[in-house]
Amino acid sequence: MSITSITGMRRTGTGLAVVGLLGMMFVYWLAFFWVSTEASQGVSQRIFYVHVPAAWTTFFAFGLCALTSAMYLWLRDERLDRAAVAAAEGGMIFGTIMLTTGPLWGRIAWGTYWTWEPRLTLTLLLWFIFLGYFMVRSSTENPEKGKRFAAVVAIVGALDIPFIHVSVLWFRSLHPQPVVVRPEDGPALPGDMLTLLLTSLAAFTVLFLGLFMLRYALEGLRRELDVRARAAA
Amino acid sequence: MSLYLSQIRVIVWKDLLLEFRTRERIVAMGAFAVLSGVLFNYSLDTARVAPQDVAAGLIWMTLVFGGLLGVGRTFYLEAQDGAMQGVLMSPAPKDAVYLGKTLANFTLLFPVALLVLGVFWLFFGLDLGSSPGMLVLALALGSLGFVALSTLFAAVSSGTHMGETLLPILVFPLLVPMVIYGAGATGRIMVGRPVEEVTGNIQMLAAFALITLAAGAVLFRFVVED
Repeated sequence: MSITSITGMRRTGTGLAVVGLLGMMFVYWLAFFWVSTEASQGVSQRIFYVHVPAAWTTFFAFGLCALTSAMYLWLRDERLDRAAVAAAEGGMIFGTIMLTTGPLWGRIAWGTYWTWEPRLTLTLLLWFIFLGYFMVRSSTENPEKGKRFAAVVAIVGALDIPFIHVSVLWFRSLHPQPVVVRPEDGPALPGDMLTLLLTSLAAFTVLFLGLFMLRYALEGLRRELDVRARAAA
Repeated sequence: MSLYLSQIRVIVWKDLLLEFRTRERIVAMGAFAVLSGVLFNYSLDTARVAPQDVAAGLIWMTLVFGGLLGVGRTFYLEAQDGAMQGVLMSPAPKDAVYLGKTLANFTLLFPVALLVLGVFWLFFGLDLGSSPGMLVLALALGSLGFVALSTLFAAVSSGTHMGETLLPILVFPLLVPMVIYGAGATGRIMVGRPVEEVTGNIQMLAAFALITLAAGAVLFRFVVED
């Protein structure tokens, strides 16, 4: 990839990240001052507008990482690996947001920070799969080898996720059930809450895409630097 | 097909012969199993906690930890003197190498699993419950799924400078389904629940083993290529 297209990517990435951040500030304002308070959970429910979009983004990032990893092993295009690592890093950030906002809410709603509830367990394990992804990547002398190893971790992780999901469902679920995507009855969330959730979802997604493109461009620059350093030597 | 099978057989035979001559991994895993039983005996207050109630979990955790001890060194000897290059340059396809090594690891680990069960039965006077046969089947399928996953990741971790330290971080999150279904089935059988209650677990253990075997066979070539 040429330097000019990397620069273009960086500009777009920066633009999207700024829009995403502004969107998130707007979401915070809406969540604190605009949306109606949920009847049974009270104020603590407002964390929902951060938690759910963060969770959604994490799973999206993981899917993107696994998909680009598989395509990288197949096509061996550097850009696919760059996309995979950019997605994984975004997934780790949003996963951390999800794993910190969840327990804060759980302490008030459930009376406990942590419980072995299926969705909690699944996301914790997902976070650790990402951790393994980065550890493998950074612990090989040959970077090409690290890329292949990391891709294998992401693919096996993605194959294992359905198993983990089904197996942890064995324990009874405490987690709130879906309130938006319900094929039978339609969304159960009141109008303003749904509006805010979707706004927040959009803001998180745009922010993720912005960070994703910035990170992708950074990997490209690193590689370019590498090539030039080698040419100069 | 018969060529493929004989290639797998050669790899299995080579690994087992190597193990038979050094006896490193099987002795380490076996000793680990017995000594874990000893430590568990002193770490649990058996007057307050009935061993029968916690044995299923302890058995599976001993299997996982002991298994990592042995499986983590699958590629160690060959990496030491560059013999792995020879294995990989042989006409055997990479997936046959993976399947051979996985089967050899299974042949080592399954007796260790039985040893763990035997040792715990002996040390804690366990009642093996409604169906010892089902218990053995669960351990066999669990061992197979375990070696399928950890042999692939042993190849990954032996290619990094962190080596075996990395292995638990990579495989523990992925082993959760195996531990849930395995320990679940073992626990239920040991409290005397009817066998029909655990057939679902057994099927999931089998599915887990098959899918990880297939994934390992496909992905192994990307791990060992140079």
